[in-house]
Amino acid sequence: MAAVNRDNMEEVKTDDGSPKIKPRPIVRLGIFLIAHSPIFSVVFSAAGVLALLLLPLLAKNTYISENALMPGSARSMLSNQDVSDGSKLVKDIKNFRLNHEGQGVEVQKLIGKYMSDMGAEVSFQKFHPEGNQFHPLHFFSSPDSYALEENVSCASYGVNVAGIIRAPRGDGKESIVLVTPYDFINGGDYESLSLGIVSSLFSLLSRVTWLSKDIIWLVADSRYGDYRPVAAWLTEYHSPSFKVSDLLKCDELNTADNFRRAGTMAAALVVKVDGRSERFEDTLSIYAEASNGQMPNLDLINVVNYLAVHRQGFYVKVEKVVSLLSSSWLQIFGEIFEAVGKLAHTLNPDWNFGIPAADYLEGSATLASSLYSQALGIPTGPHGAFRDYQVDAITLKISPRFPPDSKTRQHDFFLRGARLLEGTIRSVNNLLEKFHQSFFLYLLTSPSKFISVGVYMIAFALLVAPLPMVAASLYIDGCKALTNSTHNPAENLKSWKWLDAAKQVFALHLLGFIVTLLPYFICQVPGQHSPRNRSIMWGTTSSSLLLITFVTIPGFSPFSSRLHGTNWAVLKSVTIAAAFIGLCLMSIINFATAEIGALLLVPTCLMAQPIKPALRSRRVKSLLGAFCSLVLVTIGFPVMFFALSKGLLGEGLVGLSLGGEFWTWLESLWAWKSATYLYIGMVHLPCWLLCLCILFHPS
Amino acid sequence: MVSVAEGYWLKQSLQSPYAGSMYHGSPLLLSILGPLTTRRIEGKSSHHLCSLVFVIADVLSALLLRATGQKLQKAYRLNLSRLGLLTSLHDRVILPCGDIAALVYLWNPFTILSCVGLSTSPIENLAVIVSVYGAVTRRVPLAAFGLVMATHLSLYSATLAIPLIFLLGYGLDAPPVKKVLQTRHVGVETTGSTSDVSKQNKLTQTTQLFSWRTVLHFVFWVLVWSSYVLVLCSLSLKQYGGLEEMFKRTYGFILRIEDLSPNIGVFWYFFAEVFDFSRNYLLIVFNLYILLTGIPPLAFRLKHRPCFLAFAYLAFSSILKSYPSVGDAALYLSLWALFVNELTDMEHSCFIFCGYIGFSLLSPVMHNIWIWRGTGNANFYFGNAMGYACFQFMFVEKSVNAMLNHDQALKKATAEMTKN
Repeated sequence: MAAVNRDNMEEVKTDDGSPKIKPRPIVRLGIFLIAHSPIFSVVFSAAGVLALLLLPLLAKNTYISENALMPGSARSMLSNQDVSDGSKLVKDIKNFRLNHEGQGVEVQKLIGKYMSDMGAEVSFQKFHPEGNQFHPLHFFSSPDSYALEENVSCASYGVNVAGIIRAPRGDGKESIVLVTPYDFINGGDYESLSLGIVSSLFSLLSRVTWLSKDIIWLVADSRYGDYRPVAAWLTEYHSPSFKVSDLLKCDELNTADNFRRAGTMAAALVVKVDGRSERFEDTLSIYAEASNGQMPNLDLINVVNYLAVHRQGFYVKVEKVVSLLSSSWLQIFGEIFEAVGKLAHTLNPDWNFGIPAADYLEGSATLASSLYSQALGIPTGPHGAFRDYQVDAITLKISPRFPPDSKTRQHDFFLRGARLLEGTIRSVNNLLEKFHQSFFLYLLTSPSKFISVGVYMIAFALLVAPLPMVAASLYIDGCKALTNSTHNPAENLKSWKWLDAAKQVFALHLLGFIVTLLPYFICQVPGQHSPRNRSIMWGTTSSSLLLITFVTIPGFSPFSSRLHGTNWAVLKSVTIAAAFIGLCLMSIINFATAEIGALLLVPTCLMAQPIKPALRSRRVKSLLGAFCSLVLVTIGFPVMFFALSKGLLGEGLVGLSLGGEFWTWLESLWAWKSATYLYIGMVHLPCWLLCLCILFHPS
Repeated sequence: MVSVAEGYWLKQSLQSPYAGSMYHGSPLLLSILGPLTTRRIEGKSSHHLCSLVFVIADVLSALLLRATGQKLQKAYRLNLSRLGLLTSLHDRVILPCGDIAALVYLWNPFTILSCVGLSTSPIENLAVIVSVYGAVTRRVPLAAFGLVMATHLSLYSATLAIPLIFLLGYGLDAPPVKKVLQTRHVGVETTGSTSDVSKQNKLTQTTQLFSWRTVLHFVFWVLVWSSYVLVLCSLSLKQYGGLEEMFKRTYGFILRIEDLSPNIGVFWYFFAEVFDFSRNYLLIVFNLYILLTGIPPLAFRLKHRPCFLAFAYLAFSSILKSYPSVGDAALYLSLWALFVNELTDMEHSCFIFCGYIGFSLLSPVMHNIWIWRGTGNANFYFGNAMGYACFQFMFVEKSVNAMLNHDQALKKATAEMTKN
């Protein structure tokens, strides 16, 4: 698609060159498209939005792509003895916690003792919970070992426990990781159930003979959040720091020289148990989104889903936006699609693309959640830390249907949970190489349905297709207007007329870059500031920078009246080209961000027109166009959009504290190294400013 | 630079600098830059010193470019006035192409990137620019020295010999000789003033005749310098296998495309995929392709514009090089900027510009997706490299086209003048 459009863009500029040669068909097609660009841009954008809405219909059923996985082909070897081991651990921890109310590391030691009793190598690791730090250039780099601050206090630190079972058939070069986040200080009863499940499994794995990859069981100290302990452990695992940390001296637990490793990780499973399931069955929620919208290989999700549904009888779900389930307009769309599907089915029984409206609603709610969490670029659980090291990982959150103190039910629950994990580990154990067969780029519409990259890219491509077309046609118009208006033979730079506009676009993008980096310096301002004050600081500095640019560079401001400046059509054309490049780039880094950004940016860029002539002409059509572009530009402002989406999500619009909230939101983006922040600062904001310039262009 | 450090370390430890797999450059570069890789000033790490050297090299190149541009600009003005076009197009602005070229070189993101990345390309670029500058100012030994050094550092610069010979033989860039002759006749008929005629005679003589003496002089100096460089190399490599080893490890390495680690060129992927038994055949084919399709046609078509020919060769070789770097792009882009006056009517400039920006931003992203995230694969990155190569080709093609069109336009304008 993009290639064709580029062709179009290229051809435009030839058609004023040599009219004698009859152009090739593709050139003629390009010229045709550009000549009718307004119609086509409307058609293409509408088709893009429609294709996005159609995506739940186009979802395919998942299938296991890697043959070696063979999920569920072996009989489970988990015995009641293993499960009672697990139950015993849970009970011990509970009793221990009742008797000892303290900060110490006794619980960790207890777990460590259990692990070593099962024949595992045990190691403890201390880590320091880290605050948010703004690393502007860390978006693309690999996670490196964090430089430890010198003044580490003993007041706050966590201790992870890791046990490793060496595989009898392995060479110690590969491993599978099981993670159970557990808050050792105030973890609830449900949380300790996850320890029970994994320890049942661990007890089994310590004596099986088929294991060819080492098993690591990490009990992550989740008192400072789930993510941080896992990330700290992974950092130590992959890039150890050789500095002697002060943390070592904090208590009697000696962790020096005790860290154990077990080869590259083939996969990782994070197991969590929380709350009671509202449904009749036990519920298993799968979380897969890692930072910057990266997903684990689809095969991993497939295996877990297959085993959970067909072997253990869990109800499997993925996250969805609940508010969308009750939205009436989606309901209407669903009914229309259903009717169309039925109609098509009556016409030709082979056309089976219709799905019931309820399914459609479910699918789009899940899709929306999938898009949203990928677009934010914030991992949805501790599995995100693994993705940074290219390890496929998912979080399994299991909600049992019984209260935590029911003994008999607990036994059954442990059995099923551990069997699910056993089956998964057995499948992964079969693998000879990394997960690579199935998809990495996909969106989920339900645990067993997915949309692959080839399908969802169509929606995006249709959405951005008008940009190069309109850019080309505007470029031609603008050039013609320039040649007509100047009549100056000195103006001999025939093909370089766009340079002025490009300068302006470049300057604004540079400004966007500076504004993007500003928070780093604002964070360095001494003293404690509330997020609101910081956001005000940020706002004032950036707007004053903008004003300085407008004042210092002559002929730059949209408000100055000058005779010969850049023609707005050329300016818009270059703006659109820049937006196109930015969106295409972002679609490769993080598709979901680019899709949502395109939904905002494409109409804004396409509609932007100087409002002065529209006001002067006083025609209804042009007034309407001006009004639309004004509205779009208002919505397009990131803060505004943030406020609107907050309002839509039902948390109510807030006044001045909005800036503070926005700041906190951005802070969370930095903390997770989300490329979305870069997109907002370096693509969206400059393009929005340029649209504003066009809007108030004195033409 | 990492490889230079390795080579230097190997040499220090009394081994051949080519014993490791990394270093494949010249031994002279090693003895100049090598000490810098280990020295530290006041606790700062060693690469500060190296980058200082590169910055100096870049600034020198920019200065030389500026001087070259001023020469070319003068020549351009002279040519226009000789053709009698300057009066008719009196208000035609002649852009200060030297300044533009120097600025393009210094502010080019590619230059900055190659400097930050501690690539040795600033030094190679400096050698190339020295040779062009020497030829433009007719300092034959300097030109020969630049050529020899450039060839010594990277083999592909050897193609520059042709434009340099043209430059020394025919003089600076000018419209084709025929047109000058044409106007001379016109000039004789219309003005008839003796002083004018004699002056124009002189001018045409300098442009028309191929001055064999200068060229022979140049060849002589090239021989002198190259034997000098070879002697130095053999001295420094005496214990480690001598010159034969050097040729095998530098030029052989370039021609046989041994290192298949990904770069922005197009060959690594191809030779990583190719079957072993057809490898030699394809090597011959590709190297001949560069030699036969690129060099002679351009030489015939652009022999009246040797500097532009040098640009075309550099751009062409930077596309089809076995180990290209962004520094090469910086070099040919700045040489291209020397001809802004002639190339004002270049087609598709906006499109090509956007393509350059797009692909140069896309390439690190693709690399990241492939190497770090593991969600993409080599095809993504290679597709990007191919797109980049396509844009470079388009850029060269459009520039050459624009240059020929410019000559045509000059011819037309002259013809009109004669009619009137």
